[in-house]
Amino acid sequence: MDIEAVIAQPITSTYRRLNWVIRTIGYSMVFITLIYLINNYLIVWREWPGVVQYFLNQSEATQNQGLLAWLQLLSYLAVVPIALYRMVTTPAHRMIDDSQRLSDWSAYLIRVAFWSVVLIGLFDGLLSWMRVEDLLLPVFGQELASNLGKSIFRGSYVHYPLILVSMLMAYRIKTVSMSWLALLVVFAELWIVVARFIFSYEQTLMGDLVRFWYAGLFLFASAYTLKEEGHVRVDVIFAGKSVQYKAWVNSLGVLVLGLPLCWVILTLGMWDSTSIINSPLASFEISQSGYGLFIKYLMAGFLVVFAVSMILQFCSYLLKNVAILVGEVEVIQDQHDDVMA
Amino acid sequence: MELLFLTILVCLMVGALISGFPVAFALPGSAILAISLAALCGWLFAGDSSAYFADGGPTQWLSAGVTNFRSLYWEVERDTLIAIPLFIFMGIMLQRSRIAEDLLVAMAQLFGPVPGGLGISVVLVGALLAATTGIVGATVVAMGMISLPAMLRNKYDTSLATGTICASGTLGQIIPPSIVLIILADQLSSAADQASTMRATEYREITGEFSMPSHLDVVSASAGDMFMGAIIPGLMLVGIYILYILITAILKPNLAPPVPYDGAYDRQFLWNVLKALVPPLALIFIVLGSILGGVATVNQAGAIGAVGAILMGGYRIFKGDRHVYTPALLGVLAVIGIVLVLSVWSINVKNLTSPGEVFGFILAVCLTIVLFVSIGWSTWRVFKTDNTLNEVMTETVKTTSMVFVILIGAAMLTAAFRAFGGEELVRHALTSLPGGFWTQFIVVMLVIFLLGFFLDFIEIAVVVVPLVAPILLAAPDANISAVWLGVMIGLNMQTSFLTPPFGFALFYLRGVAPKVVKTLDIYKGVVPFIGLQLLALLIVGLIPPLVNYLPNRIYLTSENAPPPLNPKLQQCLERNVFANYQRNEGVILAAIDTMARVDMSALPEDMQNALATALTQSSGTFALVDSVNLASAVIDQASVAFGPLHIQVRGIESDIRKLRTEIKVHEDLIDEARFDTSISAGDIAAAEASVAVLNEDIMQLNANIPLSWEAENAAYQILLSDLQKAQRAYRNHVDNAYRPIQEAIDLLANPESLASLAQKIERIDAMVMNNDADTAMDLIKELSAEIGEVTGADQVGVLVNKARRALRGSAPDQAKALDFKDQALAQLAADLTWMRQANQQVLPGLKVLEQNLNDTIGVRLQPRLSEKLALSVAACQSVHEDVSLSF
Repeated sequence: MDIEAVIAQPITSTYRRLNWVIRTIGYSMVFITLIYLINNYLIVWREWPGVVQYFLNQSEATQNQGLLAWLQLLSYLAVVPIALYRMVTTPAHRMIDDSQRLSDWSAYLIRVAFWSVVLIGLFDGLLSWMRVEDLLLPVFGQELASNLGKSIFRGSYVHYPLILVSMLMAYRIKTVSMSWLALLVVFAELWIVVARFIFSYEQTLMGDLVRFWYAGLFLFASAYTLKEEGHVRVDVIFAGKSVQYKAWVNSLGVLVLGLPLCWVILTLGMWDSTSIINSPLASFEISQSGYGLFIKYLMAGFLVVFAVSMILQFCSYLLKNVAILVGEVEVIQDQHDDVMA
Repeated sequence: MELLFLTILVCLMVGALISGFPVAFALPGSAILAISLAALCGWLFAGDSSAYFADGGPTQWLSAGVTNFRSLYWEVERDTLIAIPLFIFMGIMLQRSRIAEDLLVAMAQLFGPVPGGLGISVVLVGALLAATTGIVGATVVAMGMISLPAMLRNKYDTSLATGTICASGTLGQIIPPSIVLIILADQLSSAADQASTMRATEYREITGEFSMPSHLDVVSASAGDMFMGAIIPGLMLVGIYILYILITAILKPNLAPPVPYDGAYDRQFLWNVLKALVPPLALIFIVLGSILGGVATVNQAGAIGAVGAILMGGYRIFKGDRHVYTPALLGVLAVIGIVLVLSVWSINVKNLTSPGEVFGFILAVCLTIVLFVSIGWSTWRVFKTDNTLNEVMTETVKTTSMVFVILIGAAMLTAAFRAFGGEELVRHALTSLPGGFWTQFIVVMLVIFLLGFFLDFIEIAVVVVPLVAPILLAAPDANISAVWLGVMIGLNMQTSFLTPPFGFALFYLRGVAPKVVKTLDIYKGVVPFIGLQLLALLIVGLIPPLVNYLPNRIYLTSENAPPPLNPKLQQCLERNVFANYQRNEGVILAAIDTMARVDMSALPEDMQNALATALTQSSGTFALVDSVNLASAVIDQASVAFGPLHIQVRGIESDIRKLRTEIKVHEDLIDEARFDTSISAGDIAAAEASVAVLNEDIMQLNANIPLSWEAENAAYQILLSDLQKAQRAYRNHVDNAYRPIQEAIDLLANPESLASLAQKIERIDAMVMNNDADTAMDLIKELSAEIGEVTGADQVGVLVNKARRALRGSAPDQAKALDFKDQALAQLAADLTWMRQANQQVLPGLKVLEQNLNDTIGVRLQPRLSEKLALSVAACQSVHEDVSLSF
């Protein structure tokens, strides 16, 4: 849907109420996600007690950490009032602008993820290749070489710094994002073809690199696809309906169908340190063979990137569709095209 | 209660889908809603959040769903899916480089003058595009914009024209490389695993034997298999379409008149046709050829295709007029150069042995650099021209993400469906249909066909296939292959693009068709093609080898074909070999006889004896062949009478098993009541009453089993084990008979490799004298390893080893070592003498014998199937064989 800028709209009291309610919902959702992730970090890596552990399960181990648990609980409780206060005090902000802002945040997150997988893929690929070919020792010396063979070391001193670099690059370079992964996957697979058929040379790390980039490709692109109306719909009824109907379906769908999915991923994947996202992340899990890339744990993190970018994008989508519903903006051209076959 | 929530789940899903919210989130969203609702109700009304689940609890199933998400890219087994973005990239790149337009114009000029020629050219272009891009939307739009006006201008019937375009556009679904086939392969391989487990369980329950013979396993399917399996049906469909248009044009010329070509058939015309045809054909040839030849995996072929598309785009969309074709030509030349280099030297970077190989390596590196330059140059051009690369990449990630997020979503839905026992329900409903496999199959196909009116292929493939495929694949009476099932489902889903009112192809065409074309014309136009589609479905359904033969043939003739000893091959192998026995009995016996008269005195005595025994045994093979034949004839005859009884009784037994599981549920409840006070006395009484009723039913069912069953079954099992015994005896016999012959040939074939050892053994002198004991031992050890690789050097090897051992310990005995070395040389000389003699006297005879026996007695010990046998075994394995009597 292409959207025309604001039309002159008499500001009614209904509009004013809806404006802050919906914006509060959107921002609260986003900030709760953020707080949740921070708390998850504190629980799994810093051994804080956790709200559920302390208040509901009351396990022995967490008894003397009352202060920390209260802090964590407070962090959640504080989000909504703060968001609410901010929204009520800025009644002139339009939903469509906030929608754009959330969408930009999502795009930034995806750019960070994109640069991270590109840089980590290349650097880790190089290191892993040197390791397979026994080049680490002559180049880096005994101690560093043996450290680079450990996933904890490589994760902490190679991958994490690269992620920081990615944050900067994503901030500076706004035009390049996950769509380049398509070309990178093609070239990485071509590299396998060339190495295998011309030079009879095969290594697990080459396949790992393709998988690493390909997983990023479809998980990171999902938010953008939503924004561009690329996710296919069953348009038996939808296609013939009014703009109002579509906006209703989109808004309710986000709340009832979309956001719960993201939350299920985040909560069940990060419930405690043994959950399927936390456990590989915390232990720097690598693939069984040990001679591939050391990135398996990051691929578990892809799901977090997926869920968070989708939460941002869904909230943006919600704001946009409510904006359409209340007439803050007008849809000029309504078509959704699927190229898929 | 589970049933209620299952219904809620299905309603939520249908509602969410129909509302129009994106499928990728409607599926998992409704699953999560239903699970949460069940958990909430359970917690409120039964005090236990997992009360309303078939088994397990809500968090467990949601976690299972999330784990399923991750498994999409986490497991190496699902790597075939990587091919999807690669092929999408290739397709969109080719679409942007407008090869469809070029092809349509060229083909229309070429075929126009034939009756129905324009229509035929549309079908052919559709097939070609299907083999390159496979993107329905792109193909239909291109043809709708170029061919439809041309056809209408030339007085084609509107319905025929639109129908042809829509149907040809959907060929991309079935002609490989196709995304739907990759997804089906992914779904079917896990379905085949499940089906195998189901069969193994059933086998264990019924026969009581622990492990199921491997030839009863369900045959799985990789994406490559699916591609190969779909080729013949795809081409057949193209043929059917063309035939239909041709016949229509001949019977009713006014519907599809010939269109004469105005221009001259000159060099320019030829060049245009070639320029439009050759590059896509070359790309098809390379991509499909490398998959079919078993050279490359599907993913690698996808990368080749994507890069080929970049090269083609590099010259097609380029706007300058200097060096238009240079990058593409450079690339082609580099590839040709590399192929030439590789045909001269085998290059292995890790192991460059000769100077020639090093030279070849350097050459290959240079050519690879040229190739990369050409790819880089083309990529730069598509990047610079009209922002093409960016658009292609964006479209690729959007489309890929759309497909994969649906896959993710369906994983959650499947988890929820299982949570409420839906899988069991579908299985129950399907298996309780009367008429065995074929009713189940037809019902499933009908459901898929009907769903095709509303959903598109990804949803059907990921929601329906995992539910029903295991059941269909496990059915022993049809014993279908996964490839066949996949291609049938693929053909069926292809119609979903054509079925009004919501076929995608129709939408695309409606979007670009001129105003004079009424929507009703388009609907009317596709009806005959849907009919043709169903006809193709029927043909492929009745003749499974159309699908199975090609994958089997390529597998059995490939480099990693299974050896003839492989138990899965035995059935078909023996069918062929036994025919050979019958045909060549005289020849075989004569060959054995000739060999028996050869003078073998040059051989050592034990070898002479072994060979003599082998010959006698070989001639005794025929008796065992006869006994196997007899046993299988007896079985065949007995099966005629026993088959119906078997089916009847197994049916009753499976009903009884179902009742038993029901009884188990009630009994569990009664057991639980002892600890769980919330179960009331009334509930217990009701459960007990149900158990009584069910037991009664079981009694009744048991009474339905004919009295003669036990005796007949026992008799049949005896016959079956007789056959197995006869087969085992035959196999042991031929192996024992042939092995000495094979060993003798190996031994005698090359005495010179043995002779070459003499020189090396001489060097032990220097090793021992010039080094300290440890180094010498290491050197001799290396030598031993070398000796070990030469056939017939065992005894020499033992002596060399002794020489090494003499150097062991604190007092190495050099003299003793050298003594052993001399002994080794002597042994070598002695061995050589008789071997050289036997090489002249005995070997020729043995070789003749081998020639005569290698497709009969010796077939099992050959390293691989001969070309001829591989083909006939492939043909034999392509037919679905009823194995129900083994269960």
